[in-house]
Amino acid sequence: MILLFIENLFISLSSVFANKTRSILTALGIIIGVVSVTMMGTLISGLDKTFENSMSWLGKDILYVSRYEWFGDMEWWEVRNRPRIRPEYVDKIKVRSKYALAVAPVMQRGASLSYGEKETRTEIFGTNEDYMETITTNIVQGRFFSKNEDRSGSRVTVIGDGIKEAFFGDQDPIGKYIKIDNIKFRVIGVLEKQGKFLGLFSVDKQAILPIGAYNRIFSKRGWMRLSIKIPENKIEEGLDEISSVMRHIRGLKPNQKNDFAINQTKAFEKNYNTLKLAIGGTGTFITLLSLIVGGIGVMNIMFVSVKERTREIGVRKAIGATKGMILGQFLMEAVLICLIAGLIGLLISYIFSILLNKIFPSTMDIWLATFSILMSIVVGVVSGLIPSYRAANLDPIDSLRYE
Amino acid sequence: MVLIALNNIYKIYNVGGEEVRALDGINLEIKENEYLAIMGPSGSGKSTLMNMIGCLDTPSSGVYQFEGEMVQEMDDDQLASIRNRKIGFVFQTFNLLPKATAQHNVEIPLIYGNIRKNERIKMASKALIDVGLADRMHHKPNELSGGQRQRVAIARALVNSPSIILADEPTGNLDSKSGHEIMGILDQLHQRGNTIILVTHEDNIAQHAHRVIRLFDGKITEDSKVKSE
Ligand SMILES: Nc1ncnc2c1ncn2[C@@H]1O[C@H](COP(=O)(O)OP(=O)(O)OP(=O)(O)O)[C@@H](O)[C@H]1O
Ligand SMILES: [Mg+2]
Repeated sequence: MILLFIENLFISLSSVFANKTRSILTALGIIIGVVSVTMMGTLISGLDKTFENSMSWLGKDILYVSRYEWFGDMEWWEVRNRPRIRPEYVDKIKVRSKYALAVAPVMQRGASLSYGEKETRTEIFGTNEDYMETITTNIVQGRFFSKNEDRSGSRVTVIGDGIKEAFFGDQDPIGKYIKIDNIKFRVIGVLEKQGKFLGLFSVDKQAILPIGAYNRIFSKRGWMRLSIKIPENKIEEGLDEISSVMRHIRGLKPNQKNDFAINQTKAFEKNYNTLKLAIGGTGTFITLLSLIVGGIGVMNIMFVSVKERTREIGVRKAIGATKGMILGQFLMEAVLICLIAGLIGLLISYIFSILLNKIFPSTMDIWLATFSILMSIVVGVVSGLIPSYRAANLDPIDSLRYE
Repeated sequence: MVLIALNNIYKIYNVGGEEVRALDGINLEIKENEYLAIMGPSGSGKSTLMNMIGCLDTPSSGVYQFEGEMVQEMDDDQLASIRNRKIGFVFQTFNLLPKATAQHNVEIPLIYGNIRKNERIKMASKALIDVGLADRMHHKPNELSGGQRQRVAIARALVNSPSIILADEPTGNLDSKSGHEIMGILDQLHQRGNTIILVTHEDNIAQHAHRVIRLFDGKITEDSKVKSE
């Protein structure tokens, strides 16, 4: 049996290679199918990793109160007409809420930072001493500013790892003065390195200032949001409570709608899952479609191959080939075409995934690769079955007569 | 010993509602080591008879015993096995696999007979040497003359040491010199103990045989011993 297997392998190999172009063209659908299924998997697993990383920076136990919903479908003018989030909300919430463990106001704008000759544009954040509790990043050097420094408008700043690298390199930045929009600030701390959020923008190039100083020096305008930390096991209750506290602050009547938004990382997750479903759905659809097209192509070419080799089949039968042996021969050929196509597809995907890896972490999953090869083999068997069966059941005399 | 016994064999085709009796009540016994020529006009059923004897075709009615066994009762795989081990076919149009070398063409019956590679190569080489193609083993069919191709086909037919060689107009596509060489090989095989059955139109080819039967419209019209054994 093994002998015959090897023989069939050689027959099929020579047949496939004798018709290289035809075989490849036929199997194009399979190639596309394998590329799409592996790329889909690679894309999703890459996105998953990126998403998980990014989401870990936003705490699950943090509520973000602001004017707009992250994934809302409100018109921009409707949002614009909502009242601002005001600094005094911080204390009001702290007094009224029993779930709020930390409340940090956050304002943000672009600014130019410089140290000596070096200069860079970046985002600066104005916040209070609670801020560190509402983010997952740690201080790696120095310290965060205190309540007193905030209240007194001290010109101190905590910088991101990116700024530290750019300005100080290996030097100790603590105690050094940098200029933010030409105003001197003393560096008191450095944040841990983080990378890029959702692979889009770096959060390492930032400077955090006490909101007191921020407001005094930069405009009081601009949007403020609140980051509120609540106990991890009381998210729902916290959300309800903060919502009613905000409604109370805003003096809303029961029949009035909220004129503020409370966002959660969940909103990201929901949207992300929708995106994932879309990628998965599209990928599966393309895969199935191309496999069907490819399978039909292979079936067609196998019918042609059987027809072309009718006489050969007759001869083989005359010298002692059984039906099973002929079936095996053609089935092997169909599987071989699909297998080669699968391997080509895999190679293409692999190259793609290396390129993709430059944008976000994406590695081709070994299981997915194995699966896609198995899938090609299955398509080969399925599409080769009918032509092979026909070949096996050809009448030897008719085949020998065949011109 | 009787190798082949055909008893009242009919092969009837239905073409457009009309009955074609390719074989019309054939009774024939062939003994071991006979050298038989089948002659007759075109369409008389010679090839049909050959295919019947070679277990490629099944009769519409009648009884065929091969080495005493009922051929009708065998399944496809058993028939394939008989063709592989007991019968060697030689065709008018050679029917070699075009992409395979002479050596490989001759090996194919051995592959179906599940014979190991080393053994196979030895047997195939020996068969090719026997037909005088020692120096053409690795040529492909299109690199060989017609006579050489037919010799490869004969090597393929005899490689499994079958008892019977069936040759349907083996010289039909060859010039007379090549034809004579082929007949020489068949004569030798007969001398070595094989049973040879061949179809031919030509009297001088038929003269190699020791027994000639003539077919006409699917019936045997003449059965004569030409030479005594
Ligand atoms: N598959 C078939 N369907 C219908 N009729 C057939 C079929 N095969 C053979 N025949 C008929 O059977 C008869 C015998 O055919 P066969 O091939 O045995 O003739 P032959 O004696 O070998 O002729 P030739 O010398 O030309 O090779 C012919 O009349 C042919 O038309
Ligand atoms: Mg004929």
